[in-house]
Amino acid sequence: MTTETTTAAPPVSAARSTATITFEHVSKWYGNVVAVNDISFELGPGITGLLGPNGAGKSTILHMLSGFLQPSAGEIRVLGQPAWRNPEMYRQVGLVPEREAVYPFLTGWQFVLQSAKLHGLPDPEAAARRAIRLVDLEGAQDRPTGGYSKGMKQRVKIAAALVHQPRVLLLDEPFNGADPRQRLHLMEMLRRMAAEGHTIVFSSHILEEVERLAENVLVIVAGRLAASGDFHEIRRLMTDRPHTFTVRSSDDRRLAMALVSDASVYGVELEDSHLTVKTSDFAAFTVALARIARDANVSLYEVLPTDESLESVFSYLVNR
Amino acid sequence: MNGTIVELTFRQLLSQRRNIALVLAALGPVLIAVTYRLGADTDFDLSQAGQPYSHHQRFVAEALLSDIVLATLLPLVALIVGTAVLGSEIEDGTAVYLLSKPIPRWKVVLSKLVVAWAVTAGFIAIVTLAAGYIPLVGQPTEVTLRGVTYSFGNGYALPVGFAVAGIAGALVYTALFICLSIVTSRAFVTGLIYVFIWEGVVTRLFSGTRVLSVRQYTFSLAEWLSNAAPEVFNARLGVTTAILMTVVVTGMAFWFAVRRLERFEIGEAT
Repeated sequence: MTTETTTAAPPVSAARSTATITFEHVSKWYGNVVAVNDISFELGPGITGLLGPNGAGKSTILHMLSGFLQPSAGEIRVLGQPAWRNPEMYRQVGLVPEREAVYPFLTGWQFVLQSAKLHGLPDPEAAARRAIRLVDLEGAQDRPTGGYSKGMKQRVKIAAALVHQPRVLLLDEPFNGADPRQRLHLMEMLRRMAAEGHTIVFSSHILEEVERLAENVLVIVAGRLAASGDFHEIRRLMTDRPHTFTVRSSDDRRLAMALVSDASVYGVELEDSHLTVKTSDFAAFTVALARIARDANVSLYEVLPTDESLESVFSYLVNR
Repeated sequence: MNGTIVELTFRQLLSQRRNIALVLAALGPVLIAVTYRLGADTDFDLSQAGQPYSHHQRFVAEALLSDIVLATLLPLVALIVGTAVLGSEIEDGTAVYLLSKPIPRWKVVLSKLVVAWAVTAGFIAIVTLAAGYIPLVGQPTEVTLRGVTYSFGNGYALPVGFAVAGIAGALVYTALFICLSIVTSRAFVTGLIYVFIWEGVVTRLFSGTRVLSVRQYTFSLAEWLSNAAPEVFNARLGVTTAILMTVVVTGMAFWFAVRRLERFEIGEAT
């Protein structure tokens, strides 16, 4: 496992002998705007999550990876082939774009079938049946996709991307619009594929999604690779940082006195209508708070983390 | 060419509401032809070459088939269809499903071009033949002028010549507009400017620019194919130039469209 936070171009992480995706000093800029700044990494089979706030550059990286954006500098290879201007690559690569649009006049079955035919598969019907079964869409396959819900559109897009059983699957925000049951089903399916040796890369701005699915994570902030490696280590870095909470209770003064004696708390400010509590141990504080309040006979009305936006978490990682 | 793309594109075109506008547009020239037929008297004249021609033929060629069908309807239909076959997919993001397949880009463009051309050419051929024949069918083929009786054709070659020229023009226009739809997200407006400003105004004012006008190629081919007398219809571009430019412009538009599609970036339109 390698975990690193970077402010400059990071080196390619420990090379894996089974690397299927290689990014070497890749940058992408539009005029004076730098979207991706000198990023390098290698990925092998398994699930990798591209994590970062909106506008961080995740989609730009996925688009470059899928051959739909030309890098301004650097080199991208997928399964040893260049990604840019190489349609042959799609024999081994499946792409699930973020945009919801599908051909509204096609049924789910026709949409997946035409994908199989465009791949030139020898038995497109069998491939389409298998892909639709994989995403659990058999019940709605004969309805026009124009009438699908967001989650169903997502699933039919995934079926179309899987129809040729690609070795590399790229998904841009794949869980958008999926309900919890569909989300679990898709996650289970992706885990199975990863176990079979597929390389799966997905982007998300939701920490919990990445936590539940990805073994490996690339944290992208402002076009830079802020951290890469095992998710749990990065998660620890994200949580073991100073946190500030706003707490409203039935007796702020008494609660403040009780809190300052706890080891997880290193600062309490008593303000007009609430307390501002600073802690260095997120997990210990969230467990201790309820106990301390109960022991002090104080009722908690509101507990709000004040700096929990992904942007602030990621900024912390970058500046660390 | 790819059969799946062709089928998909046909279905895509058929599912669009703008088809109603196209059908209504097709009725325009036909209604004008019917109105003309009901109201106009037969009138004849002699050409400079001493050949008789009817003013019906002149109306059909000059006003109906050239000004309304070939100069207005053809580029508009080609613009609507040409920018829709690939441009609408680029615009709504569905082009990704097509382009993330192991299909050479030239096959994608060729498949789209074949559909756009077939739809535009079929539409224009039907309208040209219908609107062209209505004023001519059943008209006298013999006339006495200045004491001399002349026998002459019924003028049926006119609609056929214009229809074939329209089919050729449809190829150039659709190739151009498909290319435009890949190059810019404002293909429709750019196409309108080309048709109405460049072809409609500039090429009339500056004769040297006619060599860059698809309308002029189509007119020239129509004149040549229908063998029309100068008094009936007079194109302003030589037929050799027209044929050459038809091939060159179509080929260049196709080549450039393929080249741009090979370098298609998702961020350009999404």
